[in-house]
Amino acid sequence: MEQFSNILTLGLLLGGIYALVSVGLNLIFGVIRIINFAQGEFVMLGMYGAYACYSFLGIDPYVALFLVVPVLGLLGMAVYWFIMRPLQNESMMQVFASFGLLLVLQNAVLGITGGLTYSVNTPLSNITYGLGSIQISLSRLIVLIAAAVVALVLGVFLTRTTFGQAIRAVAQDRKGAQLMGINVERTFMWSFAIGTGLAGLAGVLLTPIFTMSPQIGGNFIMAAFAVVVLGGLGSVLGAFIGGFVVGLTEAIGGYYVDPVLKNAILFSVFIVVLLVKPSGLLGHAGAEEVGLREQH
Amino acid sequence: MSNTDPNSQGNDPVNKDKNIPPWKRVRTFKSEAPGLAAVVAVLGLFIFLLADDPFGVNMLAVALLFAGLAVSWNIVGGLGGQFSMAHSVFFAVGAYTAANLFLHFQISPWIALLPAAVLSAAIACLISWPVFRLKGPFFAIATMAFTEVALALAMHFTSITGGARGLSVPFKAGLENMIFRQRWSYAVLMLGYCAFSLIVMAVITRSRLGYYLQAVRDNESAALASGISVIRTKLAGMAISAALTGMGGVIFVMYVRVVDPASLLSLFDIGVKIALIALIGGIGTIYGPLLGALLIVPLDLWLRAFIGGKLPGGNLLVLGIILILFSLFLKQGIHGAIKSTWTFLMRRKL
Repeated sequence: MEQFSNILTLGLLLGGIYALVSVGLNLIFGVIRIINFAQGEFVMLGMYGAYACYSFLGIDPYVALFLVVPVLGLLGMAVYWFIMRPLQNESMMQVFASFGLLLVLQNAVLGITGGLTYSVNTPLSNITYGLGSIQISLSRLIVLIAAAVVALVLGVFLTRTTFGQAIRAVAQDRKGAQLMGINVERTFMWSFAIGTGLAGLAGVLLTPIFTMSPQIGGNFIMAAFAVVVLGGLGSVLGAFIGGFVVGLTEAIGGYYVDPVLKNAILFSVFIVVLLVKPSGLLGHAGAEEVGLREQH
Repeated sequence: MSNTDPNSQGNDPVNKDKNIPPWKRVRTFKSEAPGLAAVVAVLGLFIFLLADDPFGVNMLAVALLFAGLAVSWNIVGGLGGQFSMAHSVFFAVGAYTAANLFLHFQISPWIALLPAAVLSAAIACLISWPVFRLKGPFFAIATMAFTEVALALAMHFTSITGGARGLSVPFKAGLENMIFRQRWSYAVLMLGYCAFSLIVMAVITRSRLGYYLQAVRDNESAALASGISVIRTKLAGMAISAALTGMGGVIFVMYVRVVDPASLLSLFDIGVKIALIALIGGIGTIYGPLLGALLIVPLDLWLRAFIGGKLPGGNLLVLGIILILFSLFLKQGIHGAIKSTWTFLMRRKL
């Protein structure tokens, strides 16, 4: 029983990480339906950004947030404007272009750092709390809380504010939204920028937990797509829950079956959900077709 | 690419009207064959010329292998429009089939080509049958997930795959073992594989199945309404494509003689690479993937040799930029660029 609660806690904390990492992708892929395989690389850039702030400016990673997130947002704007905007109606070209971007970002960082791995210590990263026999580190707890807060804010933003409603409107029907006076391209650009900024946020908050390498984005990207599709495309609550589904599957599968097979279990679950309910656990029926229909 | 044989016009059932000029006729495999033979002959000449240059002949061998793989991918990915990212799975199935048959039963890789092709096609049908109802990017993401599952399974079943340490095939040179001392023999072997893939692709492109695949790609509902069995068409394309890819895996394992799950099944190394070679060459065309491989593989190896040492990852950085530029500006690939330049020049002459 104690073992089980240990695994459960581990799975929940892992779920927090996945929920946080996929929240940006949820906006980019789930809501505005742009395929971005380079999303994991934006998380990686967030981590290296936090490291750069720490080693050159002496700023604590948690403070570096205020610098890294806007910078990654700007980078996202540029990526949208020059790469994704011209490919608006061609989802398969987006797959290839974002794979190209993935290679560029990953290997640019590899070239700059020379392949050395870094880690960052903050005064907070050594604090742990005991909960019975389970030790929970503060930095993982912060990730969990941040995932919940970001999901809540994003959910309210998308449903209750005019700009959030505009984002959902352009995803559903570009022409209709334009006729209602929405600047379509600017809305897409801002959504993409918020998505990459959120990836940066995830990256910064993960720096105390992971040793960073240029390839670390690859650990997140397939899981993030699984989370977004599992939870339900476009549903913020769905993606939040999806994160925990993935985290718990990984923890339980890794412990009771075989750590090597955890990905096999995870992605089998993902494929089954994709087949049985392509719109995801909390997505509206037919949600998978939105944004893929021909737009005029 | 002249592809008309004056002798074949008389009994050509497709082009009955003799007043149509040869280049405007509907192409058949028969009219495609001379051009194909010429391309293969030119490539053979290249191997002959490069035979004494170990770097050059190796480069050509790898380029021809990837050309064959990209041509196979193009059958279902280009003609059929199903962007499979799971082809590394079929490639790995072929490689492990041949390696195990060779190591445990001393069965020649030449014989192993058949079970490898059959097994790859069977696995391809099994896993793609359910996901074929997903469209566009969802199909691509699901097939990528299959690659992840296969990677985990390959790490788990160490008795077949050797686990993370991989399998190594001992060096026993001999034609019957598909292991050669001279590097040019591998280049000839891979030219044979590439030529076989090209022939299959050319036959399919000019056959009923090829037109069915293109109809399904361009408009699935319209294809269904015209009486085409969409799922059967997709499965047939996928099975042929996977069988060829599995055969490529057999040749690959006898060429490198050491394979591990990471090098076979990591997303970028095989699965995405062959798709991007097809994209860069020209999706859906017969010779496009060959052009793509002849450009990308030497470029990759050359960059790795000359800037990889100074700038780690420099070769992939350049490949990434090329990939972005092609998806933005040259969607029809090299083949399409050559074709549109050609029509532009012809129009100016007239």
